[in-house]
Amino acid sequence: MKRALPFIIIAAVLVLAVVIAWSLTRSGVPAVPNNPTPAVALNAPANGPVAPRIPAGEPGSDPPHAHGPANAPVTIEEFGDFQCPPCAMLHPVLKTMEKEFGDKLRVIFREYPLVPAHEHALAAARAAEAAALQGKFWEMHDLIYTNQNLWKEAFDVRPIFEDYATRIGLNVERYKQDLTSETVQYRIFLDGKRARSLGVKGTPTVFMNGREIPFESLAPEKLRLLISTEIANRSQ
Amino acid sequence: MAAAPEPVINTTPSQSTLLYAAVSLVSLVGLGDAIYLTVEHLAGRSVICTIVSGCSEVLSSKYASLGGIPLAAVGAFAYFAVFSLATLAAFGYKGMGKPLAVIVTLMFLFSIWLFYLQAVVIKAFCQFCLLSALVTLILTALVVAIRVRGGKRIAAQ
Repeated sequence: MKRALPFIIIAAVLVLAVVIAWSLTRSGVPAVPNNPTPAVALNAPANGPVAPRIPAGEPGSDPPHAHGPANAPVTIEEFGDFQCPPCAMLHPVLKTMEKEFGDKLRVIFREYPLVPAHEHALAAARAAEAAALQGKFWEMHDLIYTNQNLWKEAFDVRPIFEDYATRIGLNVERYKQDLTSETVQYRIFLDGKRARSLGVKGTPTVFMNGREIPFESLAPEKLRLLISTEIANRSQ
Repeated sequence: MAAAPEPVINTTPSQSTLLYAAVSLVSLVGLGDAIYLTVEHLAGRSVICTIVSGCSEVLSSKYASLGGIPLAAVGAFAYFAVFSLATLAAFGYKGMGKPLAVIVTLMFLFSIWLFYLQAVVIKAFCQFCLLSALVTLILTALVVAIRVRGGKRIAAQ
């Protein structure tokens, strides 16, 4: 028995390692049923042809920042952090998909700044939300992501984001006041609450019609295939 | 019919046994760390650093994978190999010390390289990578202690 004992221990550790890896994988997946209930169709007309599906959970900020019609057959909801490099890599991919699929795709962006890991993530989220109060969320969102490498190591990002605010034509004085406003902070809080209710552990976390998409499927060719398949399924 | 050769088992617990057991236990910490990083890498998420603030920079850099394989997965495999060899050695199986020393030495050299990448090239630190480096450092110290002890014993005989 003693001769076999080390092999039993090694095998037990191997099994335990596999179980832990599997449970870690599962812990990042929100409890969404296989056929999620249609849903909390944000901004969707009551008699829309197809209700978009988004995962249940806390509602998040309302209205969400969204591109594309509310009744699009495919809704992508991204939980992003402006300072996270993989999120910046996903940004042009989603832009391409929006162009390719037009009104068949709706993209929602939710704030999930990883604080304190990313020291400027919250400031960036506030800048985008403050710009949203003047109707320029996506313009600020795009500038922040496109220039991530230029500001992520800056000591003070406020003047950089103020420069972006000027470039996109915001009233900069109002923008500066809005940065610390309750509305801005509450929207970020509500998105974070929704993220936690869905079990979001990191960024970017992306849901497509209520199902979480693994990061490796967010490469342009894979995402294109996923969206096309989803559109085909929804039109049947 | 010739019987299969019996493994040589040393039945008296010694200081080496305790050192090998320590190597086993310490390698489990590294194994857990590497599994976590592998899963997060495959899920493609930004790992949240709570002590330092460079996890996503380090883990999304081009150095985080080797020929398409997450470096953390290679680490998990190495820690498991160390655990297996040290466990067998702790139970008296002979011939485990040398491959164990070779693997731990390679891990130690690789850890130095990874530390250099974090400090000089990426200019960001990831706490989970630093934990792995610390575990490897402890494993190296334990293996050196085992080897030194073994050398002294041979010299004394």
